[in-house]
Amino acid sequence: MAAKKLNLKDKYKLLTRDLDWEFSYEDRKEAFPYEEFEGIKITDWSKWEDPFRLTMDAYWKYQAEKEKKLYAIFDAFQQNNGHLNVSDPRYVNAVKLFLTGVSPLEYQAYQGFAHVGRQFGGVGARVACQMQSIDELRHVQTQVHAMSPYNKFFDGFHDWTHMHDRVWYLSVPKSFFDDARTGGPFEFLVAISFSFEYVLTNLLFVPFMSGAAHNGDLNTVTFGFSAQSDEARHMTLGLEVIKFLLEQHEDNVPIVQKWIDKWFWRGCRLLSLVGMMMDYMLPNKVMSWKEAWEVYFEEAGGALFKDLARYGIRMPKYADVVEKEKEHVSHQAWWTFYAYGHAAGFHTWIPTDKELDWLSEKYPETFDKYYRPRWELAKKLEAEGKRFYSQALPQLCTTCQVPMMFTDMENPGELSYRSTEYKGEKYHFCSDGCCDIFKDEPEKYVQSWLPVHQIFQGNCGGPDVPDILKDFYHFNLGADNLDMKGSPDEERWKQWKSA
Amino acid sequence: MSYLVTIEPTGEEVEVEEGQTILDAALRQGVWLPFACGHGTCATCKCQLVEGEVDIGAASPFALMDVERDEGKILACCAIPESDLVVEADVDVDEDFAGHPVEDYQATVKAIVDLSPTIKGITFSLDRDMAFQAGQYINLDIPGVEGTRAFSIANPPSRANEVELHVRQVPGGAGTRWIHEQMQVGDTLKLAGPYGQFFTRKSDVKDAIFIGGGSGLSSPQSMVLELLEEGDPRQIYLFQGARNVAELYNCELLEDLAEKHANFHYIPALNAPEDGDNWEGFTGFVHDAVKDYFDGKFEGHKAYLCGPPPMIDAAITTLMQGRLFERDIHMERFVTKADGESEQSRSALFKRI
Repeated sequence: MAAKKLNLKDKYKLLTRDLDWEFSYEDRKEAFPYEEFEGIKITDWSKWEDPFRLTMDAYWKYQAEKEKKLYAIFDAFQQNNGHLNVSDPRYVNAVKLFLTGVSPLEYQAYQGFAHVGRQFGGVGARVACQMQSIDELRHVQTQVHAMSPYNKFFDGFHDWTHMHDRVWYLSVPKSFFDDARTGGPFEFLVAISFSFEYVLTNLLFVPFMSGAAHNGDLNTVTFGFSAQSDEARHMTLGLEVIKFLLEQHEDNVPIVQKWIDKWFWRGCRLLSLVGMMMDYMLPNKVMSWKEAWEVYFEEAGGALFKDLARYGIRMPKYADVVEKEKEHVSHQAWWTFYAYGHAAGFHTWIPTDKELDWLSEKYPETFDKYYRPRWELAKKLEAEGKRFYSQALPQLCTTCQVPMMFTDMENPGELSYRSTEYKGEKYHFCSDGCCDIFKDEPEKYVQSWLPVHQIFQGNCGGPDVPDILKDFYHFNLGADNLDMKGSPDEERWKQWKSA
Repeated sequence: MSYLVTIEPTGEEVEVEEGQTILDAALRQGVWLPFACGHGTCATCKCQLVEGEVDIGAASPFALMDVERDEGKILACCAIPESDLVVEADVDVDEDFAGHPVEDYQATVKAIVDLSPTIKGITFSLDRDMAFQAGQYINLDIPGVEGTRAFSIANPPSRANEVELHVRQVPGGAGTRWIHEQMQVGDTLKLAGPYGQFFTRKSDVKDAIFIGGGSGLSSPQSMVLELLEEGDPRQIYLFQGARNVAELYNCELLEDLAEKHANFHYIPALNAPEDGDNWEGFTGFVHDAVKDYFDGKFEGHKAYLCGPPPMIDAAITTLMQGRLFERDIHMERFVTKADGESEQSRSALFKRI
């Protein structure tokens, strides 16, 4: 055998772990003040196994090469009026939802990883988090650049960071990340690196990127490939975190299980927006939400949790409920947006007859029974010139901040509603999952900034809804919101296509 | 038609079928390579092609960029061999791995003994000495049978001019049937070795637990004999699992060793003793014997497992519940030709177990 050369592992070690130093005159505990308060016990940081070995010099080289490729595509897209190649102008609304709902999360991830990348006593974990932080910053930048050409041609793209902080349905993704970032450093990694990036990320990225590919959006699909080449590092970090915590001390097992339960449930609630996008917003469908759930969670996640059982970790709590909900959530979400289409920053519409048939075929157990009749009614009203918009503001779940729209899986015709009292105040929830999360940390969730409550308390301007939408949310009324039919987006599209 | 892919720096060999990816073949044959997405977008499985021709397959241009293609980088999850290959992967060479070269040997059958009603002990003498590490295996060329069959070496490396194998007759298995029914003393066969990453991690001084099930006593026997020969001072525990007394072979040899060496402990376990066995030892599966002996706590040990997949899986679960983890668990799974074809989908959580 040839003489052993300095392999990647040793090289990485020299460029990471050897950068740590002993604390001779400061107390190490004070240098890493957040490491213990969550109850996690770390006995030996040297057991941390680097989830990937990418040295900074190689990192810059690769990323620069990727950027060059990516921006060449962006340039070509702009020069060739790539926006005219999308399948249908309705598709662009999925991009609006992504830009306002997901891209700011990449920025939150950048901040979150930069923070925890300072807080771990172990240098291996610190370096991995810092590198992911840089990736996330790259992702938000490239996403914005991928989607920005649409801003010249379609409504609703003009003030996405502002909207992310204020708009009612965008508080769902925002509060998800706020919750993770205000946890301790280990909870943040279990929440984002493991539960989201490893267990659930394929349910977000694969549908969105394949959706872009199926609908002629070259910019977004290329961004997707570029980001996915980074995602693998994020996923392996998620796996290493979970193994490391579970192996360090047996007292960590119940804490990690609790976090997995919480973040799996929170992630599922967040993904109802993705389910809706897949089933309703993509004119050319990729697969149904139900199928995606079966492939990416039930099969892949099933194998993972079978392996995790060896550590004493069980399937996330309420995974059985989610398995039933896969038949329902996308329909409930799009119906809610359709009914509140005047208060959304993108357009809504009734599925075409062909799409309704596709939904019937993909959801034989539930669509015709529960959801098709609603769309038939909406069609009838629209034909009579009575397209309706719900005027009352919805009750929001205190934990996930989704309007009360989910039904009880024991009785899918009934709204699911839970409540609890804390210090004499009553709090409302969409599910046992969300109610349990609140009860475990009530002091955290009583501070939730619930958009509907804030409106009623007069903190969002107003008093009328249109004033709030216009002045507080920065919507261009009559252009960003309302039905696709008759929208300026639709008008312009017709003009371009007939030109 | 299949191609042989050698993975450097460990020197492991993988047989890849026509149209199969390197990663798929490697994982199915128990050779771990880093991977994540499995479909060419993440680049976790990036390797350097050292020799040979491949079709790089559907690798994403962002996961495998043009400059990298020019340098001969490939993604194992997409690359399909078009010749025998040598690839260099991001895998670690264990510091205890000696890297003895694989060579071909002429092996003449010296003795055939019935170890149990289903297991024969075969001793070959080799045309020259073979350097190997206790725990490794050889590939045997069996006359009239396509491909080779893998068997663990049961003798210690000090008996370098011999290879002792414990061969259980696999129901419906052509290779083991030939050995059981037709092989004669004096026959000469071709064998190649040594192979495998299952060997004693001597640099780690922790006490060692060996678990062998059925004919999987072979490797642990070799490893234990070697440690005892060398006068290794660590505590050595050997658990042997069998169905009944008739199947519990080499028991006297091991009891004898336990009497002579204070640091060697031999614990046989029978899961279905016969009435006439008058069995007074542990009754139950071997992983339960291990759990019972150590009261379910294994921290501070190294474990070496050898035997059929269900035994290995049960033992891993027991050890992990007792807080012994992947880095301290080493194993050799006896996968039959039929097992290999029905591999289940698995997560990326564990590398080797």
